[in-house]
Order: sequence, then C-alpha cells, then structure tokens
Amino acid sequence: MENRPLSPHIQIYKWHISSLVSISHRITGIINFFAITLICIWFALMLLGESNYQIIKIFLETFLGKFILIGITWSFSFQMLSEIRHLIMDLGYGFELQTTRITGLLVIFGSIILTILIYIIGRGLI
Amino acid sequence: MVKLSLPKNSEVKKGKYFKDKTGSKNLRKVNIYRWDPSTEENPRIDTYEVDMDNCPSKVLDILNKIKNEIDSTITYRRSCAHGVCGSCAMNMGGKNGLACTTPHAEIEGDIDIYPLPHLKVKKDLIGDLDGLYKQYQSIEPWLKNNSTKETTEIYQSKEDRAKLDGAYECIMCACCSTSCPSYWWNGDKYLGPAVLLQAYRWIIDSRDEERKARLKKVSDELKLYRCHTILNCTNACPKGLNPAKAIAEIKKMLATANV
Repeated sequence: MENRPLSPHIQIYKWHISSLVSISHRITGIINFFAITLICIWFALMLLGESNYQIIKIFLETFLGKFILIGITWSFSFQMLSEIRHLIMDLGYGFELQTTRITGLLVIFGSIILTILIYIIGRGLI
Repeated sequence: MVKLSLPKNSEVKKGKYFKDKTGSKNLRKVNIYRWDPSTEENPRIDTYEVDMDNCPSKVLDILNKIKNEIDSTITYRRSCAHGVCGSCAMNMGGKNGLACTTPHAEIEGDIDIYPLPHLKVKKDLIGDLDGLYKQYQSIEPWLKNNSTKETTEIYQSKEDRAKLDGAYECIMCACCSTSCPSYWWNGDKYLGPAVLLQAYRWIIDSRDEERKARLKKVSDELKLYRCHTILNCTNACPKGLNPAKAIAEIKKMLATANV
C-alpha cells in the first residue's frame, strides 16, 4: 500500500495559453525582482562618480548589455499586462474560455509590441 | 511543495507492445499507463494497436475494445458511459476529461491515456481520490437551516435558484482538481477547484443560513488563495462549468463582506 506510485502530472499535462501566461507571470516576476535590484545598484554606483557611469555605459552598449536591457523591458511589459489581466479577473470578469484565450494572447503579443514601442521611443526614432 | 519530477518508484518504464492481429489497415497506437500493485515493479506504458474501423467514437470505446478483445488485465473505472457519473475521469492526450464523452478523433497522433494526474495510483488508470472526498466532506455540503421546521417548505425565488446554475451540475469527477498545478503541489491543504465550486454552491444558496460561517471557513491562505487563476480547471471540466470563476466570486465576497 505504501509503495503506490504517484501518477504523472506536469510531465504529461498539455499547456494552453492561460497556463503559459500564468507561469510566465511568475517567471517574469522573479526576473523583475532581480532587475530592480540591478537597476538600484547601477544608480547607487552612478552616485559614486563619473568613472562608474562610464563603465556601466560601456557595458550597456555591449551585446550582453543590450540583451539584458531589452529582456528587462519585455519582462516588465509582460508583467504589467498580465497583472492587468489578473486584476480584471479578480473583479470577476473574463473567465469564459474564449475570453481567457483572447486576453492571454493579448498579453503575449502586447508585451512584444510594447517592448518594441519602448525601444523605438527610447532611441528617439519617433 | 513544488516537486517537478516523479519519485523513484513512480518513474514510468516502457512496457509491452501488443501488435494488431485483425489485419486492419486503419490502426491507431494507444499508449496506456499500467501499474500492478501485486508486483514490485515500476509503472509502465503498454502500447496497443487498435483497429479503428470497428471502434465507436469515444476514448472509453477504445478502452472497452482493448479490455474485451486484446488485454483483459487492463483496469479502469466506468459506469454510465454518458457523462453523468464521472467514473471514467482520466488524462487523455494530456488533458483531463471523461473517457465516455471525449472523442478519440480530437486527439492527434498516438492516444496517450494516463490516470488523473498527481494521485496515488491504486491500479492502472485508477487514482486514489480519498483526500478529495475528505475535503468535500469538510465543507459540509448539505443545507443548513435552523429557523424552519423540517416539515415546512423553504421557498426560493426563480432569481435565487438561477444563481445555482453552473454550480449544481458538478458530478465530482475530479477532472478539474487533478488538472490544477496548485492542487498538485498543495493538495493536502488547498481545497482545489471541485471542492471550492461546491463550497460556492452552498454559500450562494438563498435557503442556507450559514453563509457567513461557510465563508469564514474557506477564508484561508492555503484553502482558498492558492488559486492563481491558471485556469486548467475550467479548461478541463467535461460539464463545461467554470470553477475558476466560482473561486473568484468567493474571493470577491470575502473582499467585500464583513466576515
């Protein structure tokens, strides 16, 4: 009796838009936690002098630096849109299956569009 | 606790292969989770080649066909075969549902059949639902009304009765609860969508007088708020009900009522 196996769960369960958005919400939440810490450290370093500012600037212009910046932008965009979706759900709306699929897709594509928009505006391209 | 991998005794091994003997050209491979409590062996996946020309449309029909014609040792629960009793709840093609109402044509590729996820397996496709039934008992799913005598009728308006639609139809098949990752990791404390939908059903019943006590009872970090609106439950429900919305309504009531 004690030896009863546990039936497979996450290994076999099919993903759908809502579960993907939900897990991504958590992952981006963790990323944002570290991102904010990193940004705070950068700001603190800048207060310590111009040479620090230069070092950070050089780092942010490397490929890795740009990747991190764009990644953080996406992560914040996703978290924000997903949080709005959850807020609406907390009010009791948007639980119909079709609606959850649409709002889920809106969050996914919206976060990508928002990232591009922020990039374009930040670069002064428009 | 979140544990993504299966314990050692639950790792699934490759099992037997049952080749088709009918000579049919319309074959489908059906992979079925098997575990025999009389042996010390790990669970395994047996593969059956099934003649689809002589098989009705639902997944339960495949199972019956295998049991009758290929391998009589396979074990699963079934009863009504019309989506009313909830016995044949299992995981098919990665999604929970009732075998008797799930058409196999909707599953692409090989048909994978597993027991309901994250349960202690009793045998083959039968999972142990005792924990869920105990939780169901804990919400006291019966009418509590002390102010009226047993012989008097308790009236309910059509509007109040309509509130129960979408909640009373639940057949407690456990498809929703066993699809919920929160229930997988915290099933010992979190009540899960099936039981919370029933809790909701009694909370909103106008004839019930224990509304406040019921709300207070589920108002708990673990019992209720482990729901993170992943919505696996609503996606899985074979009766088309919406446990996630019911849970959100309970949260809303707790946020607005003075309990």
